[in-house]
Amino acid sequence: MTWKKTKIFKIQEIWPILPAALYLLGFLIIVLLYLLGLSFSNTARGVFPTLETYAEVFGMPEFREALLNTLVFVIIGTPLELFVGLFLALLLYKSFVLRNFIRSLVLIPLAIPALVTAIILFILFDFPGGHVNHLLLGKYDAVPQIIQAPVNWRGAKIFSLGISLLGKVWRDMPISMLIILSGLNSIDPELFDAARTMGAGLRQQLRRIILPLIIPSMSAVVLLRSIEMWKEFIFPFVLAGQHNLLGTLIESFYNNWGYADKAAVVALVLVGCIVCTSLLLILAAELNKRIVQG
Amino acid sequence: MSNIVKISALSRKVFWLCAVIFTVLLIIAPVFLLFKYSISDASSINTGGSPVPLWPYNPTFRNFLYLFSDNQFYGVVINSLLIAFFTVIVSLLIGVPASYVLGRYQIPLRKPLLVGLISVRLFPDIASVIPVAEFFITIEAHNTYWGVVLAHTLLALPYVIFIGTSAFEPIPRDLEHQAMVMGANRFQIFLKILFPLAIPGLTAAAIYTFLLSWDEFIFAYFLLGLGRISTLTLYLKQKLAYAPPQNLLATISVCLSFPVIIFSLLLQKHMSAGITSGAVK
Amino acid sequence: MAEVVLKNIGKKFDDHQVINNLNLLIGDGEFVTLLGPSGCGKTTLLRMIAGLETVDNGDLIVGGKRYNDIPPRERRIAMVFQSYALFPHMTVRANILFGLKIQKVSPTRMQEKLEWVIAMLGLQDLEDRLPKEISGGQRQRVALARALVLDPDVLLLDEPLSNLDAALREMAMEELKRIHRQVGKTIIYVTHNQVEAMTMSERIALLSGGELEQYDEPRYVYDRPETMFSAQFIGSPAINFIDGVIAQKENQIGIDSRIGFLLLDKERFGRAGEFTGRKVKVGIRPQNISYLEHRAARRYSDTSLTITVELIESLGDRSLIVGKVSDEITVRFLITREADIALDQEVRIFIDGRRLHLFDPRTQKNIFAARRKTSGE
Repeated sequence: MTWKKTKIFKIQEIWPILPAALYLLGFLIIVLLYLLGLSFSNTARGVFPTLETYAEVFGMPEFREALLNTLVFVIIGTPLELFVGLFLALLLYKSFVLRNFIRSLVLIPLAIPALVTAIILFILFDFPGGHVNHLLLGKYDAVPQIIQAPVNWRGAKIFSLGISLLGKVWRDMPISMLIILSGLNSIDPELFDAARTMGAGLRQQLRRIILPLIIPSMSAVVLLRSIEMWKEFIFPFVLAGQHNLLGTLIESFYNNWGYADKAAVVALVLVGCIVCTSLLLILAAELNKRIVQG
Repeated sequence: MSNIVKISALSRKVFWLCAVIFTVLLIIAPVFLLFKYSISDASSINTGGSPVPLWPYNPTFRNFLYLFSDNQFYGVVINSLLIAFFTVIVSLLIGVPASYVLGRYQIPLRKPLLVGLISVRLFPDIASVIPVAEFFITIEAHNTYWGVVLAHTLLALPYVIFIGTSAFEPIPRDLEHQAMVMGANRFQIFLKILFPLAIPGLTAAAIYTFLLSWDEFIFAYFLLGLGRISTLTLYLKQKLAYAPPQNLLATISVCLSFPVIIFSLLLQKHMSAGITSGAVK
Repeated sequence: MAEVVLKNIGKKFDDHQVINNLNLLIGDGEFVTLLGPSGCGKTTLLRMIAGLETVDNGDLIVGGKRYNDIPPRERRIAMVFQSYALFPHMTVRANILFGLKIQKVSPTRMQEKLEWVIAMLGLQDLEDRLPKEISGGQRQRVALARALVLDPDVLLLDEPLSNLDAALREMAMEELKRIHRQVGKTIIYVTHNQVEAMTMSERIALLSGGELEQYDEPRYVYDRPETMFSAQFIGSPAINFIDGVIAQKENQIGIDSRIGFLLLDKERFGRAGEFTGRKVKVGIRPQNISYLEHRAARRYSDTSLTITVELIESLGDRSLIVGKVSDEITVRFLITREADIALDQEVRIFIDGRRLHLFDPRTQKNIFAARRKTSGE
């Protein structure tokens, strides 16, 4: 009805929004001010403003290693999350017996605190004992021996970051799945009937209907998951003590070495990476749209 | 011809069934293992060369009994509960009025505001925790309960407002107008009509906030350190540092996860909606 | 004393004029219906009286007081919404008492009022139910009770019967009339249903496109439509319109039209002579065309006509006949069920010369309308 258009609204009526707005804005300002302030100072020498800390951090091999590690983490982890999400979503898309039950089940990883997931992996990949080592050493009857000596999973760089990634992907599966599933569910089922009457098989339906139509949800997954990958902290913190990502480097600068200024620099680099990635991805999606539309 | 079709349809079904079973195993296995470790006796962990058993030799709840007799454990659980409780209170006090406005008034830029609100959560916690910790040191909120409560409120507020807004939004405008015509003022309308009708959604927001605070680690860790006040997550981290027996680690983890799993499954619908709405827009 | 006076009321949504310079006087204790098709502005007008919409220009005066800038809760007005707007989380009792509690009425007084209104509307034994636990008809009564218990000066009803099925609607109409007699409140009733308007109201304000078409007692709205819109909207089946010119032939005044010379009754159309040569649209209600078999005697002012039956539509006790006069022109009229008429049959019909309605094709106004004031007596 027409009257809905003119809901009487006066500025003095919306004051209840102010506490929340001030709270969030206040913290946003504090966070940005402190981050910038710290990064442009050298707390050890009490100098401000200066670019010294930036120069120092950029020169540190720990920083370069952490940046590279994180980059690899993002580049491997993001597509992995996308494929796992896509796989699960397609699995759950068609209705079947126990669908709701399995759907609830798939949400379980999300309901387990990340710290706990990390600890499960911590126990599983223990050295020299632990399920995984025993499994690969062929101690269980059903599995042949694959390795000769137990592996120190949490010590080796590639393994420790690998397990962290495994944990991260496992825990976040439901999120990617839900986003893609909501994309799938918004497809009009009549499209499939129409395609079938035109003689399209399952594979063709998947390629010609499902994939093109869920590209928006897949883009959303890629964008959000890549940001989450950059941000990752808990898994490497618990599982990869000696090999840093940017997140754990911040922690180690701040808590172990007491460098608030250096931590702030790394934090800003992290934020910068996230912003750049997002812009790149949004740009790519935009370009893709243009090209597709002609 | 029709035989081939049947066989391919059958093989597709078998493939699909295998995929489902694989997925279910992939999800259940870690949870099962966690539970298994929490009821393991010492001999099932320190096996002395023989493989770690898939089911403990002597299943026991002794780990739980041990934990429940530890005064420090009670202390941290109470701390976690207190912090989570006050986070819920503060988040709702600030978040509900905002949700009311966003849900009931057609303020300009409403959509972008809501999207921006959720986007705040994309800012890495590990980056914002440094300035917040430094700021709290200046205002002497470091190592205090209320410092963590304020920080957790910051994390929870976007969700509270988002869920709260969608709780207020669908209430028919007619009810508000009816109350208005019957003589109620704005506050009375809020208190007697809108708020009671939004309670289911707001409960979801409250539980979500509670869980967020309950299993939050980063802010608790940076703001409290391993100092005087400790939470359950910090207790777990502390144990981790001292090479603890795996069964005890698992037992604490079970205690930490249990309420989260239960409530998350109850709130499934809200959680899924929150995730997808925040993502697709 | 609660007269409702609307003086030059106007309302705009964006650039769209929803209500245009509307004048209306509703007497104390009167039952007035705002009738019109959807989008005619009737609900907007009602919401303006309730205070849910602002009045852009003009004056809204209730009980001698200018209401324009008084917030809804300070107006002594109650409203029943189309959706009933029962508070879903409150019992029937709590719903009814909501307004009294806000006014901080004493508990004993509250109890008295509750008992009074529950007895009046027959809501006994429903007090502790929730709205979802009672039927549609009961919900409508609760909504009414909730409004009446506040003892308002004016009761506004926005299509309160549109959610009820036909049988229930008739009962509800009777009940509303009874309640109006009993409480004697000014009632403003909005509907698009002419039967409801005709049955219940003392006066009908017919609206179209934000303007008042006619404001009169139901029978006059039917008998003397002031505009073509009135003639078309009220009455079922819809009225026939035929183009013609007022003319005199052999000492008779009538209308020269494409279906022939239609005689006009001298008593009613005595002044028609003045308009000789003027183009008109003639409105003929299907009820005023008769089929020979059912007429005892012909009146001098009847015009007879031969038509070919093109369509027969059964309406139950009567049938609607669409008859072809010429290739382009058809007339619609009613016959009783017993009449033996078949498709393609040629029949003679008679048009009652006393019941013709003549409109100016340009202004669409009735040429002979008694110039009644739209604002009432």
